[in-house]
Amino acid sequence: MAPRQGKVFKLAWPLKTIIQRSAFLALISLAIALLFIGKANIGVVEKMRTSATDFLAPILATISEPVDAFHKGVARVQKFTSLIEENERLREENARLLKWQAAGRTLEQENENFRQLLNALSDPLVLPITARVVGDAGGPFVRTLLLNSGRRDGVRVGQAVVAPLGLVGRIADVGERSARVLLLTDLNSRIPVVMEKSRHKGILIGDNSSMPLLDFLPTNAKVAPGDRVVTSGDGGMLPAGRPIGFVSSISDRGIRVQAFADWTRLEYVSVLRYDLPGMSSPDMNPGDLGESRLDAK
Amino acid sequence: MSPTLAYQFNRLLRGSVPFAITVLLALMSVVPIGIAGYAIVTPSFVAISVFYWSIHRPYLMAPPICFVLGLLSDCLTGAPLGLSSFLYLMIHAIAVSQRRIFIGKAFVLTWFGFFLIGFLIAILSWIIVCLYSLALLPLTPILVQYALSLLVFPLFAWGFGLLQNNLLRLT
Repeated sequence: MAPRQGKVFKLAWPLKTIIQRSAFLALISLAIALLFIGKANIGVVEKMRTSATDFLAPILATISEPVDAFHKGVARVQKFTSLIEENERLREENARLLKWQAAGRTLEQENENFRQLLNALSDPLVLPITARVVGDAGGPFVRTLLLNSGRRDGVRVGQAVVAPLGLVGRIADVGERSARVLLLTDLNSRIPVVMEKSRHKGILIGDNSSMPLLDFLPTNAKVAPGDRVVTSGDGGMLPAGRPIGFVSSISDRGIRVQAFADWTRLEYVSVLRYDLPGMSSPDMNPGDLGESRLDAK
Repeated sequence: MSPTLAYQFNRLLRGSVPFAITVLLALMSVVPIGIAGYAIVTPSFVAISVFYWSIHRPYLMAPPICFVLGLLSDCLTGAPLGLSSFLYLMIHAIAVSQRRIFIGKAFVLTWFGFFLIGFLIAILSWIIVCLYSLALLPLTPILVQYALSLLVFPLFAWGFGLLQNNLLRLT
């Protein structure tokens, strides 16, 4: 028996390598084909990807739980050491902010009165969805976040994502219970912005560097470092006037903007459900049309 | 004598350890850690794992497994689908073709092998992504990621070595 087995083995061996080689080549070609299909933006690939993230988001949420807990613990210990100073600082800040609040209320009322005099339309109410960040890019090629909220929570493609300090990015893909955020630093990110003071409009272009590029400003626009940049609301998907960042450097190669958002502490973000009545179709942004008219009186 | 079902099941479970551990590493690499800039330069744990197992247990890290791991990574990170599959398959192919050099030699040689292959893969990935997005991307983050991967490589190789000696001696 043994020699015969050996013969078969000798015959089968090259066959096995040939199969293995061709399987390898087939897989390589499949990977390249996937790249092309993905570039062509074919729906099937997107669907596959979103269903995969739908499946993975709960797992990631569970894994990131202990990491978050650890961070909270460390932050707690750090806070203990500076409790008194922190309290003092917050007291002062609170006093200052109360003054600002009074000023803000007066101005808001005044603004409202002017609006009514001019019969101007007010912006619809923006309803935030709070979502937990369960994944980040984990590599140098893209700047994205993975959220554990999706279509069933009202998240839609194109909605703005904000952190406490400022805009983070926009929703790029939505699954049933997960969503991917395209950060404003990503290569594919384009956000319509306006200079807060001069009201010149431009586009904030991500290029995978830490500071996105501010472009398409009018040629006569005067920009100085430190100027604040906010969303312009052009296109009807993002609410206007949300803080993004400030101009950090101006050179021949363009104007760079430093975002306000603290990229290291993105544990929870708000997805803004926003729609201008008549501008966005209910299919794109459903479920909240009625709600966002709550304040329209 | 045919092996019992329990034995075969045991073997299957043990054999799937490299795959399972790599899936776990893929998940770990996207968990937000909260260190400034870490998300961009997270060492590519999966590449380390693919490289190690391709040398030491190539049949447990076969091309289809590399492909699936790549798809998983791309779905998790949001990178162009197929990119990581391609890169892992390349790592696997190079590692398997050169494994005679690494097997049974000092660890430093394996590390040096990763130094060379990692650099090649980093540059290759940069070229592919530049072509894919038709733009010149900053190269620095990719090189930093490569350097970090190189730094953590001994730690992972040590851990994988323990696994290999304790769980996979029979497979």
